[in-house]
Amino acid sequence: MGLLSVIILAPLLAAVVLLVVPNRSRGAVRLVSLLGATVSLVGSIKVALRYDLAVGGVQMRENLPLLPDLGIAWKLGVDGWGVSLLLLTAIIIFAGVWASWTMKDREKEFFILLLVLVAGVFGVFVSLDLFVFFLFYEIAVLPMYLLIGVWGSSKAVKKAGPLAKVLEPFDLGGRQYAAMKLTLMLMGGSALILASFLAMVLHTGVGTWDLEVIQVTAYPAALQKLLFPFLWIGFGTLAGVFPWHTWSPDGHASAPTAVSMLHAGVLMKLGAFGVIRVAMICLPEGAAFWAFAVGTVAVINVVWGALSAMGQTDLKYVIAYSSVSHMGIVMLGAATLQVDGWNGAIFQMFAHGVMTGLFFALVGLVYERAHSREIFEMGGFAARMPAVAVFFTIGGLSSLGLPGTAGFAAELLVFLGAWKTVWWWAIPAIAGAIFTAVYVLRATRAIFWGPPAELPYPDVRDAQGCEWVAPILLVACILLFGLAPDLLLQYIDPMTLEFLGPLGDRIADSTAGVTP
Amino acid sequence: MSPNTLCALLLGAPLAAFLLLAVVPPLRRWDHLPAFLVCGASTVSLVAAAALMKLQVGSEIPVANWSVRWMPIGGETAVEVGWFVDGVAAPMLFVVGLVALCVQVYSVGYLDEESAAGKGRYFTYHALFVVVMQALVLAPNLLQLFMGWELVGLCSYLLIGFWWRKPEAGKAAVKAFWVTKLADGGLLLGLVVLATASGGFDWSPAGMDQRTLTAISLLLFMGVMGKSAQVPLHIWLPDAMQGPTPVSALLHAATMVAAGVYLVVRGWPLFEAAPVTLEVLCWVGGVTAFTAACLAMLQDDVKKMLAYSTCSQLGYMVAALGAGGMVGAYFHLGTHAFFKALLFLCAGSVIHATGTNSMREMGGLSRPMRWTAGLYIIGALALAGIFPLSGFYSKDLVLEALHHGHKWVPLGLCLVTVALTAAYMWRSALLIFAGESRGPGGHAHESGLAMMMPMVVLAIGSIVAGKAFVDVFHVLVTGHPAHFHFTSLGGLGLGLAFLGMGAGWWSWKGGSVGALSSLCAWVHKGPVDRIWVQAYRQALLGFAAVVAWIDRYVVDGLINAVGWAMLRNGTVAGRLQTSRIDQYLMAVAMGAIAFAVFSAMGA
Repeated sequence: MGLLSVIILAPLLAAVVLLVVPNRSRGAVRLVSLLGATVSLVGSIKVALRYDLAVGGVQMRENLPLLPDLGIAWKLGVDGWGVSLLLLTAIIIFAGVWASWTMKDREKEFFILLLVLVAGVFGVFVSLDLFVFFLFYEIAVLPMYLLIGVWGSSKAVKKAGPLAKVLEPFDLGGRQYAAMKLTLMLMGGSALILASFLAMVLHTGVGTWDLEVIQVTAYPAALQKLLFPFLWIGFGTLAGVFPWHTWSPDGHASAPTAVSMLHAGVLMKLGAFGVIRVAMICLPEGAAFWAFAVGTVAVINVVWGALSAMGQTDLKYVIAYSSVSHMGIVMLGAATLQVDGWNGAIFQMFAHGVMTGLFFALVGLVYERAHSREIFEMGGFAARMPAVAVFFTIGGLSSLGLPGTAGFAAELLVFLGAWKTVWWWAIPAIAGAIFTAVYVLRATRAIFWGPPAELPYPDVRDAQGCEWVAPILLVACILLFGLAPDLLLQYIDPMTLEFLGPLGDRIADSTAGVTP
Repeated sequence: MSPNTLCALLLGAPLAAFLLLAVVPPLRRWDHLPAFLVCGASTVSLVAAAALMKLQVGSEIPVANWSVRWMPIGGETAVEVGWFVDGVAAPMLFVVGLVALCVQVYSVGYLDEESAAGKGRYFTYHALFVVVMQALVLAPNLLQLFMGWELVGLCSYLLIGFWWRKPEAGKAAVKAFWVTKLADGGLLLGLVVLATASGGFDWSPAGMDQRTLTAISLLLFMGVMGKSAQVPLHIWLPDAMQGPTPVSALLHAATMVAAGVYLVVRGWPLFEAAPVTLEVLCWVGGVTAFTAACLAMLQDDVKKMLAYSTCSQLGYMVAALGAGGMVGAYFHLGTHAFFKALLFLCAGSVIHATGTNSMREMGGLSRPMRWTAGLYIIGALALAGIFPLSGFYSKDLVLEALHHGHKWVPLGLCLVTVALTAAYMWRSALLIFAGESRGPGGHAHESGLAMMMPMVVLAIGSIVAGKAFVDVFHVLVTGHPAHFHFTSLGGLGLGLAFLGMGAGWWSWKGGSVGALSSLCAWVHKGPVDRIWVQAYRQALLGFAAVVAWIDRYVVDGLINAVGWAMLRNGTVAGRLQTSRIDQYLMAVAMGAIAFAVFSAMGA
């Protein structure tokens, strides 16, 4: 069995083992989960080390026919992008298990679902068969319903303004509501994706789901232009593309810590990855046709997300909206169809993943101790949780794109790409970074670095024991890949060039064909 | 030692100190250890900087140039980071190294009463500052300069907010960060345009048309306006005085705020080729010099007075740059670093002794604080541009540049500023040290050796730096020899300075300097700060609240409406399932008949 299969199957196997571990052996439940996550992490690091940069392209292939009559195969392989995204996923699940260490309610079932979910994420990043890709995609999305619906938290959103009455029947902020909305919206997206996949498979002419065949199939331009928006909206819903992002704030606010970490940290990336890897690479003319719309919506995302984050008083909503804003940067990079933009998009996936993972881990710690998420009711916590305050500040600085943190290199590349493509895209994108500075530092100051709160908050203290692992690991990643972005970009950049090379030719050919 | 080794030491020593203190918390809380570690590292760094400058003085080519791949751009090419020491970088390295060491030694005395953990934190930030500031100065391209630029901004944020339990300190820290970040948005965009036009982040204008150059240099200058506190982005600097006084001396007077001027000097080929931008620089600089000097005249808080004075002096530099006087502006940066740091340290010494910032509560301190008084007066005279102190030489170069460039209005503003500068400095010197004690500072006493030594060093710099270095500096920066001449403009400046001192004395005596005070009061009414605060509170936060509401009730509301409609339709459709067999049979029968009829018609 290849290394990639090991990475995917380790969490699944751990989940199966958990089924037979008795509920009351709480230590065993955690150890088995941690083992599953660790095997994946070590596997991902090994993949990165074993990946031969001099050769490039897809490596460590595995190919096992599943349903030859339908052209479906267990076909895996990792490219330069995959290396980065596998690493991200492995880091986040490893940190996520540690962040759930102190959880006290039905842990066994929780960890089972978490591990199944992450196996799906790993699968999507290395699948070279669209059927398997879609299967893993669904495996990654569905457990979220239970994870939020059962283990989530509810906090009613106060309804205000002229339309307050209309929303009375909805349980805004409730975990059932959030779980239902998230699942339904993402399922709607999945339906669009499946329809497009079927169309793409049927039009290959050879009836295969093989991604590598599909990506070199020259579909008719009209078909590409028709299918592209389906995939854009379908995957885009998961990536938080405006206006299909509204599941994200409610979902992330209600989800338990590790689930928010995974969801904002890696799941949203599946959406953006799908747009680039399937929609743009397989349907280049459709992408070229729709690129302006994708990029314009992306800058709306950046600014809209940042302003909405500024308008929140609930910490989890702030972080959730910041994800909407930062995923806009990823989509903007994607829309450039250009090397800096794509490098930036993939790197921003990684940067935002570790950063938002860190944020949600820390928000979990704060919430557990303060039992509050209201930013302006807390205050002066730096005196009693200094390390958490410092880590949160570092996360915030990465979020606003400070050099030395991973966020900077990613944003710079995207801005460069944006300016080269449609110059004015860069302006709202940079404005978004400035707005981020406003809401992040405002929240940081209100909670940690300010005068003490009026309420006593007796339980507020620094992280202890296992709680240190996740923040330290994630902060280390933010700084390491911020100071030396080439560690990842040496994988990403050649791959981007490899994808873009034929893509540019095909777009050029098609326009050449149109104009006689 | 080879220049590359020296550069490695220059950055490595403070970096090692920073990493040790940041990563190993027990070291940080170990009483005097952080101070020794950081001062030691800064000494190593300063010696390396001095050695580099000595090497550079005898060399016509850059003495050190080393870089390593940092990140790919445009697919095939790469941005590099490393170091580059030439005649422009070398003097700045030395100035930053010297002032940083002086301020750190001074801080040992100044922060005597701070807790061990507090001191540890303070010196950790200082070590970080030296690393990133020197990395900024050593930058081989504008991207590394920008990275250092943002990180010195971070140090500024951390050090202004050092006493974060004070609400004003936290507010000031955030304000400083926001205002500079807003300006840096322009700078970043400028770099993006530059990289697109030239394929890299070098400061050479080769191959760019005039329009692009103007756009790039104007965008870069937007960042300069934020960092170097030019009107109307100067509003953060007076608030930044919430930080400890040594921090104000190092970051907010001598080095960090001067980074803006350094950026223009470093990127001079880009600016020089864009006359429109230079015109803008000249006017912004002149207006800033004049406005801030007026505001300084009205301050009773000694630190705020010095902060406005810093704005005003940075305005001189920017105006001179705009007139094409790069060397003069840069030289003024160097001398200003000495005397302004000296003034801040003296002010700190006084504040330390009296426990107040207000000059109205001081007075008569020349007796208990003889040394501080003498040193403050040296600083004040140097700042006022009195011959033969260093300020005279550099200010004269600034005025000469404006004169040569035929920038008459900015020159006029700067000349008025010369008088204003002398006036507010002399007024402050008299308020603090002359007359009778007016406050609780009766038992004020001289500061200890740790605080006096650095002040003496800076005072020597303030006295001799002008005469001793003015010609050497010119050779170093431009590669061409020059000789400093006294001109009638110098005489005019000196005369105005004495006139200003007279006005300062008159104002201290309680006399009203009619036109002067009404002029200052008029400037003071300027709504700049209020406009920014309103823009933030009303416009930005208000707009954000509206967006958040729309997102919840309209964007998400539509999605909820879809969900609601689905449920509703489900209920309606559900009514069809009546569970009554007669109705079902009837429906089947109707269907069968309809089918038969249609088939018959079709056939």
